[in-house]
Amino acid sequence: METETLARSVRIDAVGLSHAGKVRSANEDHFAIMVLHRSIQLRSTNLQDTTILDRLRRPEVNILVVADGVGGAIGGKLASGVAVRSVVEYLAEAVGCVQDFDVDREQTFLDHLSRAVERGHDRLKAMFQAHGGPATTLTMVTVVWPRAYVVHVGDSRGYYLRNGTLKQFTRDQTMGDYLVDIGAVTEQHAQKAGLYNVLSSAVGGDLVPSVGVVDLMEGDTLLLCSDGLTKHVADERIAQVLGTNDPETAAQSLIDAALEGGGSDNVTVVVARGNAE
Amino acid sequence: MIQKKVCMVGVFGTGKTSLVQRYVHSLFSSKYHSTVGVKIDRKQVRVGETDVNLLLWDVEGRTAEQEIPASYLRGAHAVLFVADGTRRETFDQLFELRELTRSAAGDIPSIVALNKVDLTDQWTLTAADTAKLIAAGFHTLTTSAKTGEGVEDAFRWIGVATMKDAAPAAQAQVRHGN
Repeated sequence: METETLARSVRIDAVGLSHAGKVRSANEDHFAIMVLHRSIQLRSTNLQDTTILDRLRRPEVNILVVADGVGGAIGGKLASGVAVRSVVEYLAEAVGCVQDFDVDREQTFLDHLSRAVERGHDRLKAMFQAHGGPATTLTMVTVVWPRAYVVHVGDSRGYYLRNGTLKQFTRDQTMGDYLVDIGAVTEQHAQKAGLYNVLSSAVGGDLVPSVGVVDLMEGDTLLLCSDGLTKHVADERIAQVLGTNDPETAAQSLIDAALEGGGSDNVTVVVARGNAE
Repeated sequence: MIQKKVCMVGVFGTGKTSLVQRYVHSLFSSKYHSTVGVKIDRKQVRVGETDVNLLLWDVEGRTAEQEIPASYLRGAHAVLFVADGTRRETFDQLFELRELTRSAAGDIPSIVALNKVDLTDQWTLTAADTAKLIAAGFHTLTTSAKTGEGVEDAFRWIGVATMKDAAPAAQAQVRHGN
C-alpha cells in the first residue's frame, strides 16, 4: 500500500526544448511530452467500502520522446517527425494498454511501446522504399511511477541524476561502438574513420531497439537529449545544471551550454523530475 | 506464446551482460560497460514440444553503494546468479543475493554460473566451493562468455526449469581453472 500511496503523490514536471544550433539551417530534431490518464476521481461518497477506489484509479503515464533525424535537412526532419508522430498516434489508439497496465503484464506493456516505435519505422520504410532513405534516432521513456520503461534506437541519450550522480541508461547504437565492442577496430580508428557518426540501428534503417527498465526515486531528474548536446557539453556540466535548477531552467541552460560549446548540430533536451505533490 | 522472466543477478562486473550478449547475439565484447537499471533481451527456446520466450532481465550489478532493487526481481520465473571465478568476493555474496531474490520472487529455479573460466591462471574457486553451492541447492556450472563454454547449457537448463513444476535437481557441470 505504501507504494500505491507514493505512486499517487508524485507529479512529473517535464519540459522540452529544441534548437537548430549555430551551423545548421534546419532543425531535424523532434520531441514530445505526453501524459496519458484515464481515471475516475471519487470526490465524495458515503459508501462504506471505498476499496472501489483501487479499481477506479489508474496509473498516470508520462511519455517522453526525443528523435534526431538523419539523411539531409528535409529527409531528417521528416523522419524524426514521422517517428514521433507515429508514437503519439499509436499510444493514443492503444491507450487501453495503459488502462490495463499492471506489473504482472508489464511485458505486454513493453511490447506496446516497442510496437509504437515500429510503426514509425514501417511508415518510413513504406514512404522511402529505396535503400538509404531518411532515418532517425528515437529515445522514449515511459514513466509509470516509479518505473521508467525505455525503448531506445540510435545515439540520442537517456540519463538520470540521483543525489548528484549522473548515470546514462542508454548505450549509443553506432557502428563505432559496435565495432569497438567486438574488437574489430580500436577507439582511435573508429574516431578517425567517423564510425561514431554512423548509426548501427535507426528507425527507418536497420531497426534494433534496445529495451530496458529503470526504477526512479523521488527527486531524480531525467534527461533525454540528442547528440547535439553531448558533443558539446560534458557529463559533469550536465550533472551540475540538472542538480541546481528546476526542469525549465535546466532545459534552457543545457541548450545555452550546447550553443556556447559550438552549436554544431541541432540540440534537443527533455528534462523531467518526479516531485512529491 | 509462453513467456518467462529470467533475472540475471550478481555483483557488478561478473559478466552478466556478456553472457546475455553471447547467448542472444553470439557476440563477445571485451570492453566493459556497466548496466544501469535493467536491459531486457529475449530469446525463444524450445522445451519439448513447447516454444518458450525467455525474457532476460540483465539487472544492474550489486555494488558497495547500491543494493539490487527488489522491484526488478518481482515476478521472475527463474534466476541466473553470476559470479566471477577470478574474484572470490563475488562468490561469497551469492548466498545473500539468493535471500534477496527469495524475498522478492519466492523460491524459483536458480542456477549459478561461475563465469570467466577461460581465465584459468586467475581462477580462485575450488571443488569445495562447488560442493557448497550444490549443498545449498544451486545447479552450478562454469561458463565463459568469451569462448561460449557453458552458456547454452545454462540457458537451456533455465528453459527446462521454468516449464516444470519443480526445478531439476541441483547438479554441477564445473571445470575449475586450477
